[in-house]
Amino acid sequence: MSDSDDYTNLDHVEMSVRELLTEMKDSSEVIVDLAYASLMYNSEDMAEKVHDLEEEMNNLKFAIRFKVLMSSRTKEDAKQLSGLLQVASAADRISDAAADIVDLLDVPLEKRPYLSDMLHESDEKIRATKISPKSEMVGYTLDQLAVEACTGCKIIAIKNRQGWTYDPEDKTKIRAGDDIIVRGTEDGYSRLVDFANGKMPWEFPEPDDEPEELSDEAINFEDEEEEDE
Amino acid sequence: MKALEVMLLELKDTSEFMVDLAYSSLLYNNMEIAEEVIFLSGTMEDLSSKIQDATVDLGKSNPEEVAKVVVITKLQTSIMYIAEAAKSIADVVLRGLGEHPVIAMSIKESETTISVAKVAQNSIMKGRTFGDIRLSTISGMFVIAIKRDRTYIFGPGRGTQIEEGDVLIAKGPEEGVGYFKDLADGTETEF
Repeated sequence: MSDSDDYTNLDHVEMSVRELLTEMKDSSEVIVDLAYASLMYNSEDMAEKVHDLEEEMNNLKFAIRFKVLMSSRTKEDAKQLSGLLQVASAADRISDAAADIVDLLDVPLEKRPYLSDMLHESDEKIRATKISPKSEMVGYTLDQLAVEACTGCKIIAIKNRQGWTYDPEDKTKIRAGDDIIVRGTEDGYSRLVDFANGKMPWEFPEPDDEPEELSDEAINFEDEEEEDE
Repeated sequence: MKALEVMLLELKDTSEFMVDLAYSSLLYNNMEIAEEVIFLSGTMEDLSSKIQDATVDLGKSNPEEVAKVVVITKLQTSIMYIAEAAKSIADVVLRGLGEHPVIAMSIKESETTISVAKVAQNSIMKGRTFGDIRLSTISGMFVIAIKRDRTYIFGPGRGTQIEEGDVLIAKGPEEGVGYFKDLADGTETEF
């Protein structure tokens, strides 16, 4: 970074407002899952990742404020951008709450057994399973497998020989012996376990042959709205 | 689970549901969904007071449970903070400040996207319950609300039956969206 720019102390200013907001929304969701998972598995590592994400969220928040203020030219801009900043601020506050949740790890484990019992009963549960060498998932990336689309379970952490990876990237490869922590429904989890232990062959998602269809949907929904008025 | 834990769990699940609904209201700039978030925040306040009373009672009758009192109160505070954040997102919609196209685009492109589909007359979902079709297990798409005629069903359960003309609002991975829409419009004829 050069010293000549007046905003060199701001990270992420190279990102667009849309990219920043997408990143903030994604983080606000994954950070809450990780926070509860850290309580369930009593994991300091996971709590540390939550604090890193929270820190990162602060950087994103300042970057988005900077970009938005720079781009506002008219009253109408200012009005709509104020809404956008409110959303960014809400995502940031969610990450603050997640960071507070992981601070409960400071309470000795034997003093909070009811917490993991309670979290196990959630609508969408967080659970762990192991990848067997017999599993057809072995050798493929998360992107190729589209695990969530095939099982309804979202992988929030993977442990391989290198250690834990939280909120793994699409290019992360599943290997035999990996431990995974997922969030999903009971039914989706049992399906995933069958895939993970090799009981069931993996069903690769069919490629979507109508990609443009996706962009139309908001319009369909709004048409519905208009009919109602 | 004891009554206190059951209430706290409901508080947690509702806070997450509020966040999902809040982002949906923003994506579709939809007042009804935004209002449901505000309504839920009212029920959260009530539930939160009940939890507080029960926690105080626990501390009074079992002084050795003081650590639990502290933990539950802290967790409750964080959960309410998340609910407040969801409410402030819904507030953007209600004030008419959610129309900037970048907002909708950023939600569309996030890891967990939100999508709508209308159930066609020849859809195999028609007449079945969510428990029957296991939609989230086979597609990753989790239906958070249904628009049926002029009313909304928020947080449908396993027993909720899907009818022709229902507009399903679901959250899930981008890869699940195509299949979800195909199931609804009748293109996909088997599960």
